Amino acid sequence: MSERIYVFKRFERFWHWSQAALIIALMITGFEIHGSYKLLGFGKAVGIHTIAAWSLVTLWVFAIFWHFTTGEWKQYIPTLDKVDAMIKYYLMGIFTHAPHPFKQTALKKHNPLQRLAYLGFWVFMSPMIWISGWFYLFYADWAAWGVDQYLSLEWVAFLHTVGAFMILAFFIVHIYLTTTGHTVTAHIKAMITGWEDVK
Amino acid sequence: MLKALAGFIVGIVVIGLTGWMLMPQLMFSERVSPFGMEETVARIQHNIQNTGNGWALSGLRNPARAVQGDGGNVLPVLMIEACSTQYSKPILKEDTVRFLSILMPCKISIYKKNDGKVYIGTMNAGLMGKMFGPMVGEVMGKVAADQKKFLHFDPNTPAPKMITPAIPASGASIPSLGGGGGC
Amino acid sequence: MFISTTRALTLGLMLVYLPISSSLASTPATTPTAMPVQAAAKAATHSTADHSKFEALKKSFASGPEVTQACLSCHTEAARQVQKTKHWTWEFMNPETKQRLGKKHVINNFCTAVPSNYEFCTACHVGYGWKDEKFDFTAQENVDCLVCHDTTGSYRKLPGLAGHPNYQDMEYPPHSGKVVKAPNLGEVARNVGKSSRANCGACHFYGGGGDAVKHGDLDSSMKNPSQYLDVHMAKDGLNFTCGTCHATAGHDVPGSRYAPTASDEKHGAHMRGKKDVNPATCQACHGTRPHSAKLAKLNDHADKIACQTCHIPEFARGGIPTKMSWDWSTAGKLDKDGKPFKLKDSGGHDAYDSKKGDFKYEDNVIPEYIWFNGKVNYTLLDTKLDPSQVIRINHFEGSPDDGKSKIWPIKRFTGKQPYDMVTNQLLIPHTYGKDDSSFWSNFNWDKALTTGMQAAGGEFSGKFAFVATEMSWPITHMVAPKTDALNCQQCHGANGRLDKVPGLYIPGRDANPWLDKAGWSIALLTLLGVIAHGGLRYLMAGKRTHGEQE
Repeated sequence: MSERIYVFKRFERFWHWSQAALIIALMITGFEIHGSYKLLGFGKAVGIHTIAAWSLVTLWVFAIFWHFTTGEWKQYIPTLDKVDAMIKYYLMGIFTHAPHPFKQTALKKHNPLQRLAYLGFWVFMSPMIWISGWFYLFYADWAAWGVDQYLSLEWVAFLHTVGAFMILAFFIVHIYLTTTGHTVTAHIKAMITGWEDVK
Repeated sequence: MLKALAGFIVGIVVIGLTGWMLMPQLMFSERVSPFGMEETVARIQHNIQNTGNGWALSGLRNPARAVQGDGGNVLPVLMIEACSTQYSKPILKEDTVRFLSILMPCKISIYKKNDGKVYIGTMNAGLMGKMFGPMVGEVMGKVAADQKKFLHFDPNTPAPKMITPAIPASGASIPSLGGGGGC
Repeated sequence: MFISTTRALTLGLMLVYLPISSSLASTPATTPTAMPVQAAAKAATHSTADHSKFEALKKSFASGPEVTQACLSCHTEAARQVQKTKHWTWEFMNPETKQRLGKKHVINNFCTAVPSNYEFCTACHVGYGWKDEKFDFTAQENVDCLVCHDTTGSYRKLPGLAGHPNYQDMEYPPHSGKVVKAPNLGEVARNVGKSSRANCGACHFYGGGGDAVKHGDLDSSMKNPSQYLDVHMAKDGLNFTCGTCHATAGHDVPGSRYAPTASDEKHGAHMRGKKDVNPATCQACHGTRPHSAKLAKLNDHADKIACQTCHIPEFARGGIPTKMSWDWSTAGKLDKDGKPFKLKDSGGHDAYDSKKGDFKYEDNVIPEYIWFNGKVNYTLLDTKLDPSQVIRINHFEGSPDDGKSKIWPIKRFTGKQPYDMVTNQLLIPHTYGKDDSSFWSNFNWDKALTTGMQAAGGEFSGKFAFVATEMSWPITHMVAPKTDALNCQQCHGANGRLDKVPGLYIPGRDANPWLDKAGWSIALLTLLGVIAHGGLRYLMAGKRTHGEQE
């Protein structure tokens, strides 16, 4: 018998999907600026990339505020508890429909592996993409900030691209893992409606 | 069964897409000229005049000039127009293919690109012609053979003079008809 | 195109011909349009003085200096002002490189040099009578007021007259059958006014021996340019004169090619009247962040890229090709009758001239781009050279990281010219002169070089050969409308305009190939991993369902 719990609140869902749209836009335009393909034209790609970046910054300001005021930030506290069981599940159990070792509740909506993945996101990808992106964006102000002798556009772009590739890989896995609920679309439905069926 | 049909449809789509993407390359060709703008034009013009088979120059257009008239810049483009009544006549006589007159006169475009090089753009007359039946195919095949001669350069001969139309048109000053040709 | 081609052709025929007026008798095509423009300009003048009412000018004049004396009777300080300028002294001391420059001293790879050829070259001197070294630079009546202030277009200084106009009707070019009428000096004097594009252009459009030859961004198409050609000077637009940017005070025209302002970040847009700053830079009016907020990213380019780089996408766009190379080594060939001859290229421009050698012309030229910090070094008469190398007649200094350089568009002009095989120095030929040692009269290099070097006060061993040279010219005129500026892809992509400029990382063009390989491999492996994982799930699920059904 399954029960339904309300996992993702309205703001959280709004945040998730607008962030998803922005990150996809950033990836598409970003790799065009990088020179990987031609789609919108360089100038337009730069314009959209910049607008999307600022929008994401704004969104994050709200999201960070929301996480702290609601205490939801605790959802991201990493834990090693049951990680081995999670890994084992994805490597074996998932194929044989073994029970999921993590019991999702409204207070603990991320499984331990998710928490580690998001930790990686916060510790590596996010700083790398944001700091390099910030310097990339304010390239013309390096001299005024007195950092021009320590930075080169080539390295800033390099690190920004490293961040972008990490996020791309993260994105691919993230999308795939949404299909690993008790039905293929269960997690996606939850992120749209907020309600997750828990067995 | 369903799979076979799906595969068949996918196959058609793939072929269609490939054709669609290759079409521009099949229909038109582009090559770098070893000479400057004016010398390229002049050499082709003289080649046309020396080819025989009724070929005559019918114009030299300068579309870049018209853009300048509107206050804009484009890199130089010169379009040589040539015509041979020997080839145009049979096509113009036949009602079912008279619409092909929109492809007349035969054009060769000489233009500079941002790499600073001069390019020659031509239409693949032979292939185009094959699409419109045996008569047009035969005529256009001959046109294609002559076109090859237009673009055969002998660097040992001195650069001839560019042939500019006798009366430059007013307004956007696109020269329309030059001397001779006129078909 | 064809009208201008014809015009260029006509002018090209008269290579040694430096027309002063816009209403050329030999170019009827331009006359009808040029005249009303001048009339209109005169009608629109805001001058408080009508020179035709001045007593001192109500007479006829026999010579230029006579007119000058009349001018000086009111404009008492004018001549002294002019005499302090480069236009008069043809000398310029570069304060940074300490090189003595100016027309009097430099050698270029066009007509090479002035010494021994004064009578010819000084057709473009703002003075009268500079025919040899003995010219009196202090005589005030030797200053030529009319060449810069004539508004009638009838005042011309022909080469060979040492800066004088022809006081009698004269066949020019010699043996051409064309007659240049003597100007009515009184009429010209009574119609003086502010310098127009045509006044400056009389010399600056024709430098190097013909229309458009030298600069590439200055030619007779700029006399009455259309919008597409020059957005500031367009006759039906802002209608700037040269002086609108080269804002002149006390007859000293600012803006110098010997010591250009390569980067004007310090001053930016400045108030009129400010001293000691160059008013002719783009930044002097537009500031250092000239693009609107919507195009703010473009402003971020302005610290490293000169405005000209994007806003002058090509030069020689007026329909008149500029000379790109000049090979003196082939000069002096004569036809079977022993006469000099000329050959034309396909466009009707000189391809060979016995007097000068082989040429190459080109229009709509895509510039070369270099780092430039404003410092120019010249190869002068006493500079030792290595003839195995291409000699840089002038060398624009600059680097990506000196903090002073910007990327500039230039015209690179190449050539071959005589040098002394013993002293390893450039040589000055005596090209023009009625005597029998000038190259253009007898086509004998030995005599021409001996006489030329004597006049220049240099040494000539008697052994000469030709050395390959190149000269750089900053491109700064012919500013296109903003919609015609280079677009992003023209640099931020493969085969871009700045491919030969060192020290750049250009997003979209330069990516680290190893990073790309690694990044895409990881992305692909991740994708394959999840597909495999998913596939396995699908297969296993299928089996189980199947089993359950059984």
